[in-house]
Amino acid sequence: MQYAIKVALRYLTSNRLQSALLIGGVAIAVTVFTFNAALINGLAEFQIQRVVGSTAHVILEPERRLPAVADARDNAVRAVVSQRALERREQIKDWRAIETILDSLPGVTGISYNVIGTALATRGQQTVPVTLKGVEPQRLSAIAPIDTTIVDGLPRVGLNDILIGKRLADDLGIGVGQPLFVQSDQGRERVLTVRGLYVTGVESLDSRLAYVNLDTARVLFDYPDGLTEIEVKLADIYAAPVMAQQLADSTGLTVVAWTERNQRLKDALQGQRSSGDIIKFFTLITIVIGVASALLLTTYRRRPEIGIMRSFGVSQRFVLAVFMLQGALIGTLGSIAGCLLGYGFSAFIAGMPRGADGSAPLPVDPALGEYQVALLLSIAASVLAAILPARAASRVDPVEAIAQ
Amino acid sequence: MTVPGDDAPLLVVEDLRKTFVDREFETPVLKGVNFALERGEMVAMLGPSGSGKSTLLTILGTLLAPSAGSLRMLDQELTRLAEEQLADFRNRYIGFIFQYHHLLPDFTALENVAFPHAGRLGRETRVGRERAAMLLERVGLADRMHYRATRLSGGQKQRVAVARALMNEPALVLADEPTGNLDRDSANQVFELMQEIQRETRTTFLISTHDEELASRCERRIRLRNGVVVRDDSTAGARRQPPPALQPSAPGGSEARS
Repeated sequence: MQYAIKVALRYLTSNRLQSALLIGGVAIAVTVFTFNAALINGLAEFQIQRVVGSTAHVILEPERRLPAVADARDNAVRAVVSQRALERREQIKDWRAIETILDSLPGVTGISYNVIGTALATRGQQTVPVTLKGVEPQRLSAIAPIDTTIVDGLPRVGLNDILIGKRLADDLGIGVGQPLFVQSDQGRERVLTVRGLYVTGVESLDSRLAYVNLDTARVLFDYPDGLTEIEVKLADIYAAPVMAQQLADSTGLTVVAWTERNQRLKDALQGQRSSGDIIKFFTLITIVIGVASALLLTTYRRRPEIGIMRSFGVSQRFVLAVFMLQGALIGTLGSIAGCLLGYGFSAFIAGMPRGADGSAPLPVDPALGEYQVALLLSIAASVLAAILPARAASRVDPVEAIAQ
Repeated sequence: MTVPGDDAPLLVVEDLRKTFVDREFETPVLKGVNFALERGEMVAMLGPSGSGKSTLLTILGTLLAPSAGSLRMLDQELTRLAEEQLADFRNRYIGFIFQYHHLLPDFTALENVAFPHAGRLGRETRVGRERAAMLLERVGLADRMHYRATRLSGGQKQRVAVARALMNEPALVLADEPTGNLDRDSANQVFELMQEIQRETRTTFLISTHDEELASRCERRIRLRNGVVVRDDSTAGARRQPPPALQPSAPGGSEARS
């Protein structure tokens, strides 16, 4: 093996231009592979962060009472024996107990205890339906970073305060310090003072949501002690489905992870990933074809030498090893160079001057270039590509080759 | 080269036949060749082009299988061995010298000579390097050891090829027109070198040639015509003494066999 490596290396260094071109070819393919991975993964991360950055990762909701259906005999009409309570609204009653559970959970970075309901906000002749979210003042920014996205006023929710999105404020033609009349779906009315305006960048938050004090919401929506939902934020967003399951088991509530609420995002990410995989597949095909054709030429050119080696009793296995090793060496050198280039290029793109909104021109994340995978696959592709030429080399008929 | 049973012939060829088949055309090249080679002989093989000399050499060198007949060397019937076994046999007991030197162009003279040894072991050894250096010294190329093969002259390349053929201390060296490509002086040099080495090491040489003058300097001449041996004559008083102690001494020769 040692000697086969030496011979393979000698062959590669004897024709430097060809070897350089080959290694360069593999390197470019791997650059495309890793940059593509950095871009697709960076884009996915960017999209996920945009969605989950200002929403809860896990939401606990009251247990859903599904209509129960009694099994009827034979062909009798099935009877609904119970249905969702119409008179009694669902709520989380014993949330103090759940608070203890949540406080003891590792990986929880934020919790918000909410009473949410719909209301009409009226300003002069303008009436707009809004979702009012009642939160504890100290937990205002536990889920969405309201405190840092305030563009006017203060991030404060006193009993008579309301925070609204800049878009909603524009729709209503209202500014900080002005009164806003709200009427809840329970028929309760109140005049609140606009304390601050925020821009989160998330359309639904900026145009249809308003923050109020939890106690104000209790009054407006007639929940003297229960909650309508508990929002939880996690350090590891991908732990959300597991966490949701655990919480559902331990609390008996309906617990939904962000992954379930964002099926569209999931589909979009899946689509991106698939198209990325196709590009990666073709870069690997490029490596196989490039390396195979170059090595086949080398095999042909070296036929007399292979013949002479065989004549002095070097085994077919040795010849096979020499050519397989050439493929492996080209693959290794090329893919290392490609990974470095891919990282460099990704870092360069990621470091380009950002736009006015602070976003990069391309959401490339150099850390997500899948370098190990690229290394492994491209070396494997190169070795695979070397199989055919190596077999051809090992089967050279020494008599014919020497007579050439 | 010490081989058990020193009295037996090194190689015995019996009714050896080779017919090349190309679709329907059958071309009989060897039509029943019989002869034996003794240990330590220097034999010339003569014959016009197309008489089957090269085919016979490649069969004796186990690079080509005969169509029929027997080829025994060192008490082994070589026609029955599989390719990997033949490769190993070739590596240990047979050395080749071709008309065109066929050195590996990307390797130095020293590496070329040591190749048959390193190629078998899968690694280079000090012993191998030392023996290769000794052989290059013997063929008068001590000062060219680290030259790439491509930088040597025709005669020098053929001398490297001679050294390479001797690397694994073969029992038999097969030379196919080894001087055919060289000018008179270089041809003489290479031939004399082979003669000297043959005398020193008692290695058997079978040299195919068109050159009657060179052939006359061999102990024995086998003439081939139309695929059969037509004449086999030995120079009077051919040496038949048992081989003397091996020269040049082979450092770690037994290691090379391991």
